[in-house]
Parts: sequence; C-alpha cells; structure tokens
Amino acid sequence: MLVAYLLVGAALFALGLIGFVTRRNLIIMFLCTELMFQGIVVNLVAFGRYPLDGNPTLDGQVFSLFLLAVAAAEAALGLALVVLLYRYKGTLDASVWKLLKDV
Amino acid sequence: MPSVLLIILLTLGGVGLYLAMPGGRLHIGRAGLILLAGAGAALVAAVLPLSGEYGQRIWFALLALIGLIGALRVITHRKPIYSALYFILVVIATAGLLILMQAEFLAAALLIIYAGAILVTYVFVIMLAQQSGGPPPYDRKAREPFAGVVTGFILLAVLTIRLARGDGQALSALTADPDAGLGGVVQVGTHLLTQYVVGIEITGVLLLAAMVGAIAIARRRAVADEGEVD
Repeated sequence: MLVAYLLVGAALFALGLIGFVTRRNLIIMFLCTELMFQGIVVNLVAFGRYPLDGNPTLDGQVFSLFLLAVAAAEAALGLALVVLLYRYKGTLDASVWKLLKDV
Repeated sequence: MPSVLLIILLTLGGVGLYLAMPGGRLHIGRAGLILLAGAGAALVAAVLPLSGEYGQRIWFALLALIGLIGALRVITHRKPIYSALYFILVVIATAGLLILMQAEFLAAALLIIYAGAILVTYVFVIMLAQQSGGPPPYDRKAREPFAGVVTGFILLAVLTIRLARGDGQALSALTADPDAGLGGVVQVGTHLLTQYVVGIEITGVLLLAAMVGAIAIARRRAVADEGEVD
C-alpha cells in the first residue's frame, strides 16, 4: 500500500514539475508549484501511515499542516507579485521578465 | 512488476503528454489525451496488486485516476481559469486519498484551505489579469515541451523503478492495517501542541511576514502608478 501511494505522489510531483518548466503563464507556473505540494502531501502522509518500522506516527500529518501554512504564505506573496508584474507590463508571459537572465 | 513494462508505460505516458501540451509540434491534443489516459489506467492497474484489501483498492484506483487526470488537465489546458478549476479536482482527489489513509482532519483542512482559500485567491487574480479575446500566445504554445516532458518523465521513471523494485519482501509486510483512528482532531491537535509548539510559533511569524510582505508589495504598486519610483 505504501508503494502505491508513493507512486501517486511521485506522478503528481512529476506532472507539476513538467508544467512548471513548460508553461509560460506566471499564474499557471504558481499553480504547478501547488501541484507539486499535493504530491508531497500524499507522500508525507503515506510515510506516516505506513512507516518502515510498523508503528504509524502523526509526524507526517503535522508536517503536512505546516506545509499548508507555507503554501498559503507562498500563494499570498506570489500572487501579489504576479499582480504587480501584470500592472507593469500588461502581460502574464514569464519570458517578458528576463532582467536577471544572462546574455 | 518487471521494469521493462514500467518503462514502456512511462514512455507511452511521456509521448501522450508531449502531444497533449499546448502548441506541441504535432498538436493533436485529443489523441495525446487518449494515449495518456490509457497509459495512466494501465499504470494504476499494474500498481493495484500492491494495495490493500478489495474495497480500499477500488477507491484508491478511482481517486488516483481522478487526481492524475486532473493534474494532466491543469498543465495542458489553455485557459488558466480551467486550470484552476481542474486543480480543485486534484485537491479533492488528494483529500480522498488522505481519508483512505485515515488522515481525516488533514483531508478536511486541505479542502478548506486549498480549495476554499488559496484557489479562490488564484481565481481572483486570474480574473484581474484577464485579457479580451481568445487565449494569448503564451497560453497557446508551451515553452520547450519536449525537454520539459523528458526531464519530468526521467525523474518519474527513476522513482517508479526504484519503488517497484523495493516492493518485493520488505515492503509487502506493510500492507497490514495498523490501528484505526490515527488522524482525528484530538490526536493531531495533541501531537501538534505538545511536540511541535516551536514550529507553530515559527509558522505564526512566517504568516505575519507574508502578510506584511504582501501589503508592502501592494503599496509599492500604488506608488509606481503615480510615476515616483524611488
């Protein structure tokens, strides 16, 4: 059972990663980080529920709760930045913002 | 499970995802989606014998499929608002998986915070930044879809093959069902407020910092609009 949940978590994480590197819309890129968080939540809870020594603990669930708080903070800051950037250039294209890019 | 079968399934999935990406070179989204759904269903069917008893197995397969299809549509849909709505589907499927693992409180918290709070913020921002006409060019064409899909599926292949290989003896003992009622409010709350008190305090500081930061960013926009950037 542990392996099945870990596979689902890995698939969610990989899909989020693919979306993050391929999509060009800033909002969807942030949405893909949330998708990776979902995969990680499944992994953490599965490891807490089916641990290797056979004694289930709550550490995975508590860690996931902290992860929820971090995701909320990230969404607030990230979306504020996205709105700010949109006000400057009027587009959500990530490739418009390449001031820090080399060359 | 032989790793050759896994590699074939993952390759099928990768090809399907590449075809389904917006603006991929072949650009036949529907065939790609069908290929992907087939590969996903085969993968879930191949994983199924590893999971627990019969009733739980059906729910697991259903929720995993819903979650994966939702995740797929999040990253392939051309309209951001639909991506956000499909993400809510992913959150619901994840909450179902958590309930299967008896993490009831966390499932409820996930639904309330993600689907209820964070996604509403996303939908607001999408509406604020909406443009007239059809989807803009940066939504119609993905950036380097081939390289991205190869990267992601290499990661997925390594993880999957390692996990499926380790399943043999050591992990099969873990399918036994431990005691129930592990993730109720009382247990999680007690654990949170006894062992992780420092973490809670630090989380409060983090949320305060995020709030102050968001306000600071929003105020900076007002200043910039008047043309007096300092």
